[in-house]
Parts: sequence; C-alpha cells; structure tokens
Amino acid sequence: MGRPTSMNLLEVKNLSKRFGGLQAINEFSFNAEEGKILGLIGPNGAGKTTLFNLITGVYRPESGNVMFDGQDILGMKPHQICRFGLCRTFQVAQPFSNMTVLKNVMTGAYCRTSDPAEAEEKATACLQRVGLAAQAGVTARELTTIDQRRLEFARALATDPKLILLDESMAGLNHAECEITIALIKKINEQGVTIVVVEHNMKAILSLSHYMAVIAQGSKITEGLPQEVVNDSRVVEAYLGKGFTKC
Amino acid sequence: MQVQIAIQVIISGIMLGAIYSLLAMGLTLIFGVVQIVNFAHGEFLMIGMFITFWLWSLLSGLDPLFSLVVVTPSLFLFGVIVYRFFFARVINKSDEAKIFLTVGLSMVLQNLALLVFKADYRTLKTAYSDLFFRVGEVTIGYPKLLAFVSAVLIAAGLAYLLIKTDFGKAMRAAAQDPQVAQLMGINTDRIYMLAVGLASAITGAAGAMIMPYFYVFPMVGAHFTTTCFCVVIMGGLGNVKGAFWCGLILGLAESMGSYFISNDSGLMISFILLVLVLMFRPQGLLSKGRI
Amino acid sequence: MKEASAFIIKSVSIDFARLGKGFNLTSLTNPRIYFPLMALALLLLVPPFLSRYYLHILVLIFLFAAAGESWNIIGGYGGQFSLGHAAFFGLGAYTSTMLFHYFEISPWLGMFLGALLSICLSWGIGWLCFRLQGPYFVISTLALCEVLRYLILTQRWLTMGATGLSIKFKGQNPWLFQFTDKLTYYYIALGLTLIAVYVTYKIVSSRLGHSLVALGQNQAAAEAVGVNSVKVKQIALAVSAALTAMCGTFYAQYIFFIDPDTVFGLSLSTELALFAIIGGVGTLWGPVIGAIVLRVLTEFTSANFGEGLAGIQLVIYGGLLMAMVMIKPEGLAPMLGRFYNRIVAVMPGSTHGKAN
Repeated sequence: MGRPTSMNLLEVKNLSKRFGGLQAINEFSFNAEEGKILGLIGPNGAGKTTLFNLITGVYRPESGNVMFDGQDILGMKPHQICRFGLCRTFQVAQPFSNMTVLKNVMTGAYCRTSDPAEAEEKATACLQRVGLAAQAGVTARELTTIDQRRLEFARALATDPKLILLDESMAGLNHAECEITIALIKKINEQGVTIVVVEHNMKAILSLSHYMAVIAQGSKITEGLPQEVVNDSRVVEAYLGKGFTKC
Repeated sequence: MQVQIAIQVIISGIMLGAIYSLLAMGLTLIFGVVQIVNFAHGEFLMIGMFITFWLWSLLSGLDPLFSLVVVTPSLFLFGVIVYRFFFARVINKSDEAKIFLTVGLSMVLQNLALLVFKADYRTLKTAYSDLFFRVGEVTIGYPKLLAFVSAVLIAAGLAYLLIKTDFGKAMRAAAQDPQVAQLMGINTDRIYMLAVGLASAITGAAGAMIMPYFYVFPMVGAHFTTTCFCVVIMGGLGNVKGAFWCGLILGLAESMGSYFISNDSGLMISFILLVLVLMFRPQGLLSKGRI
Repeated sequence: MKEASAFIIKSVSIDFARLGKGFNLTSLTNPRIYFPLMALALLLLVPPFLSRYYLHILVLIFLFAAAGESWNIIGGYGGQFSLGHAAFFGLGAYTSTMLFHYFEISPWLGMFLGALLSICLSWGIGWLCFRLQGPYFVISTLALCEVLRYLILTQRWLTMGATGLSIKFKGQNPWLFQFTDKLTYYYIALGLTLIAVYVTYKIVSSRLGHSLVALGQNQAAAEAVGVNSVKVKQIALAVSAALTAMCGTFYAQYIFFIDPDTVFGLSLSTELALFAIIGGVGTLWGPVIGAIVLRVLTEFTSANFGEGLAGIQLVIYGGLLMAMVMIKPEGLAPMLGRFYNRIVAVMPGSTHGKAN
C-alpha cells in the first residue's frame, strides 16, 4: 500500500461547536488511520452529523483543528475539501433528482477532469463498482432507497477520494440490503479508501470497523477496538440500554 | 421649531408605517402559513380601494369607514377564491412556481383593472377630509388619524387571534409543520384557505381606510407591494410581529427621507435598507432563526 | 483571460471541423439533419420576400428569443430565477446609446463595452444575491434592478432621466449600426439568437454546465462532490449578463428610443423570464419557442383589439404565465420535442429503430 507505517489520514483535535445555547460538539478529537475503517457510534442527537458538517466545512467550529493528509483544512469550503480527497455522503440521500444516475455520478467525476468523455467513462466505472451499471439511464428520483445509497457511494467514489465520511448509510434498509451495503463498504475499503462510518446499526458497524469511537452529547465517551468499546459500561449507559438494534 | 418639525416627521412616519405594517402582516401571514410570496398583494389593496371608491361614488358619499362592512368580507371572499383556484394548485410545487404564479396574478389583476377602470387617478372626499388635529405646530390629518387608529386596532385583533384563539393556534401549527398538524386533526387545506382570506380581508380594509388621502389607479398596488416586501423581509418572512415593527420603522425612514432628502426617495430608502438586511441578516432583523 | 479566449477559439473551431466532417451526402438523407437545414434555409431565404410588418414581428421575435436564451442560462439551467435581468438589458442599451449620443462612438463598440460593463455588474449582483436562496434571491434581484432604474432615472444630467434618450436616424450606415431596411436588422437578430443558442449549447455540454445544473438541483450535494458553486454561478451569470446586454444594445438601435421604465423595468425582467417559463426552463430551444408564442400572441391581440383595450396584452401574458405554472411547469419544449421526434421517426430517410 505504499507507506511503511500506517499514518493518520485525518486528525481532528478538540473540535467545538455551539449553536445558541447548545454545546453541540465539545472538544472532540479522533484520528482516522489510513486504509482502515473507523466506526463512530452514539445515541440520537449526539452530534454525529454536526461533526461531519464541521469536518467538511459546512459549519465553522469555534475552536479546534482538522488536519487531512498533512493539510490544515479548517476554514476551507466543502468543494475545496472534496478536491483534497475528503468526500462525504449524506444521511438522507441527496441525489440530483432530475438527472440520470450516470449524470449524477459524472458530477462527481468532473471533480477530477473537465472532459465530458472522460467523466462519463469514470462515472460508468464507478457505477460498475457499486453494482448500479444497469440503472445508468434511470432518473435518480425513481430509484429505490438502497439504489439511492449506492448512487451516493458511486458519486463519492467518482471524486477519487482518499477518505469517505459515510453518514448513516444503513438507515431505512432491511437486513439483506444491510448485508449488501456492508460488503460494498468493505470492498471500497479494500480498494484503498479510508472510511469513517457513522451508524446506528450496531451489528453493521461492529462487523465493519477496524476500530471505533463513541460520541454522546457532543463529547467523546471512549474509543478503541470494537469489542472493547461495545463492552464499555459508559457506552451502554449512553445508549440507556438500547444496546443492539436489529439488523 | 426644530423639535416641532421632528415630531411632525416622526408622527407622519408612524402613521404611514402603520399602514405598511398592516399590509406586511397580511403578506407575511400568507407566506408563513402557505409558503407563498404573494407578489399580487398590492393588487388586493387596489381592489379594496376601488370597491371603496365605487361605493362612495355610487352611494352618494358613503364614508369609507362604513364601506369597511362591504370591503372586508368581499376581500375575504376574494382571497378564498384566489386560494382555492390558484394557490392550492401550486402548494406542492417549487418556490419559483409559486412566485411566478403570483407575479402572473399581479399582471392579470393590474391590467384587468386598467381595462375596466382606465388609468385615471381617482380619489374621494369625506366630510372630514380636510379637518385636522393640531397640537402646537404639529398637524395630523383626521383621515390619517382614523386610518392609524383602525390599523392599530386591526393589528391588535390579529395578534389576539393568532395567540389566544384555537383558530390562530391551528394556523401557527399548520405554518410550522403541516404534516404534524394534519396528524393532530387540523384540516390544513381549510386553514390555508382561511389564512389567505384573512390576509386579503386585512389588506382590503387597509385600502378602504387610506382612500380618503390616497389616489386609486390600477397600478397603485405596485408601490405598496415593493415596500411591503422590504418590510416583510426585514421583519423576517413569516414573522407577524416583525412585520408590524418593521412596517413602522420603514414608515419612519420614508418620512424622514421625504423630508431630508427628496419627496420620492421613499422607495429607494426601502430598497437600500432591504439590500442591507439581505446582505447582513437575511433571516430578518427580528427573527431568531437562520435561513 | 487569454487562456479563456484561446479555449473558446479552439472549441469553436473543433465544432466547425466536426460539422464539416459529418457533412457528407448520405447524412443529408437523415431527417434529423435535413429538417434543421430546411428550417435554416427558410429563415435565411424567405424573409427578403416578406413585408415590413412581418419582418418587424420576426425581428422582435428573435431579439427576445436571444434575450430569453440568455436568461435561461442562469435562470433555467442554473435554477437561479432572476427577476432583475432588465438591469443588464438596460445597461447594454444605455451604454451604447450614451456613447453614441455624447461621443459618436459606433454602437458596435458600444455593444461590446455594454457587455463588459454588464459582466462587471453581474459580479456585484452575484456577490450580493447568490448567498440567498429561493424567494430571497428573486426579491433581491428585483430590488437591485429597481435601484439601478432609480439611479438612471434620477441622474438626469447624464441620462436625460424619464425623458429617455433617442437615437437620430442618419440613414444607411452599417458602422453606426443603422440600416434603412428591416431585413438587415432581422439577420442581425437571427444571428444574435443563433449565437445565444450556440453559447448555451456549449455551456450545457461542458463541465461548467453540468455543475450548474447540479447545483441548481441540490447545492449542498454539488458542493460535497467538488463543485465550486459560487464560481460556477458567477461565470454563468456573467455570460448571461453579457448576452442580455447585447440584446439591449440591439433593442436601442432598432427602436431608436430608450427610457428607464422600459429597459430597466420590472415588466421587462418578468418578460425575459417568461419566455423560458412558457417555452421550457432549462431546455435549449425553450426560450425561442416562448418568444414565438408570446410575440405572435402580442401582435395578434394588438392587431385585433388595438387601442381600445390597453392592457389586454398583459392580461394574456399574466394569464398564460399562471396557466403554464399551474398546468405545465416544464414548459412547451418537452412536449414539442416529443412531437418533433415522432414526426422525424416517420419521415423518409429516418434511421429510427434501424441498425446503422
């Protein structure tokens, strides 16, 4: 894979964000090791999407630091961060509804090339990677939930990311669809993309993550290997006994 | 002497502002509840003014205050019809569709009025048209004072309706979250219809009240619509309280502008204030939310 | 700037080369090729035989078709519904007219300068307005255009205010953009429309256009995959502004009179958007279709109802706008496009359904 030692591709240090009276994120730090999958869990409202929005430049934090691939990306706009190789998907799928699947992915491909033919080629390749090649001509609005999720992946992949932030990719999927998505994420990771995945679905995230971190009410509760984290009493407490969701 | 002039300017401003407030409250109510920016709002005013004028003209001098009895329900009905046949069709369409619908409606109403009434400026005179109050050197025209008092009363009535009555609460609920409101058993379609009717009725009433000291002609609505938009955005789209206070503020600004700068600087001041607000605080001066 | 011009020249030459290469005799039998050619031939060869009245209608159709196409770039494809485009139209008209009035500068040069000024104006308007979404954007463009109109109206020493500016007709003088016969004006208007359509086509099939459409549909998602929405919108608006300004200059040169209410007015801004809305926002030929429909309607109503019914034209415009928005928000183009495809499929020489 190139580098002799694994380094941290993404380093988040002491990120803090306030919305009016609410401290949404409180001195949050974590590192994402290159080539691995980091799982981020936490109860509803813990601040997971806010964290992603802070990292990708949608919100500005009051304090803290974000280093990506050795670059300080704090204060950069989302499109600049994407060009650096950090891409994110959305909790509720955000396709370009009136465009075809292929054109949707081409939007991502245009991040790396300005030639329409090249963009189309790359988009087709990404669609094949996620298994959506047959739907290339379908209008995005008409896709099923799982296919819209796959479209989000394909579009993110088209930007040639080094790291993808996946926000609740399993939401709304049934058991079989979960399994397919887990396999897809693993495959993307094996092809060299670092992944930070936020998830409610315990079983899914346990089978995906190389290591995990837990967020509750904006603060980090603990981090470590999946089995350690899941058995940590503080984590169980944070979920108030919710424990394992059905997968 | 300077103090007297200052007081005169301020009082004129507040009088003017009260009318803007009333119009803006109607406009912001429509936006807040039905999510439609009503570019034809000024035309509702124009219709109210024309009805008042014709009642006066045909019924040998019927005082506008009495014609309120006819104008208010007529405009309410008009609003209901406009909602039922036009607004309701675009409720679920894009923002732009809604805007262009009301822009089209504005064109149709203005030009129908032009066809039917011709472009002449008309006004009416009442027994007290030329009377005025005097306190020291400060004069306040009687019709303007009446209009001001009525505007404040109507605004208070609207506030009471929105805050204390069940209907008002239902309207606010439908404005905040239509789906949840429906789950609570609120007939959102009917609420929307009544809200538009209510807003139109208020606007028509304003038209009746300003007839004694304004001219009516088919395009009179345009000036008011644009000023209204400035008020509504400054106060926060959907914020009725904001619309009230910003209406007064804009009336004051216009009055001061007319005195210190030039007679027709009023609209420009509104626009410049609008542009400033859009640049620095687009959610409105008095809103707590974000866009 | 230099690389942009080099890029444009290269791109246009590639298009012409492709046009030439594909132009062999066999392709002429394909209705997809000969239909447009026939249309072009009609547009080029028939007008010399038309009366002044019909030529006048055609000039206005193509002038407003070009203006509508320009609006469509940012308003249709980009989804940024501006109700202030008259600002660019008026700026183009006033720039060329004032330069001619005070300095006898050729309106062709004035057209170019008007376009440049409009591009600068578009940076300002974009900076102020693009941070706003939905109705706020629409209202802010409207407000800014009105501010500009007010400025032009009140700076009487410069612009003659409400009296307006007239252009003295000096007889046939191509350099001064004046012609004795309407036919020349017609060809220029036609040319403007074809340029506008071509520019739209180039933008739409490029990365810029794709990003523009994407951010029009979902700005947050577009930014998340690397689209610099501010830059894309600014460029699209600049192009739109420049083209609109050129149409403004042509208008001044054709009508010989401009005043703030006409060329900076809200009615004009609304009309510019109307062509695309009726014809089809975000489609290549929509504004042209819209211009044809609206201008023909205008001429028909003013011919039949004339002076007695001032305002009837606008009632019809408004009514049409409302009807389109309620019934067919996508405009006439998609429906006409399908109709066109069906006709082409049954025409002799069609390759529809046949293997090549």
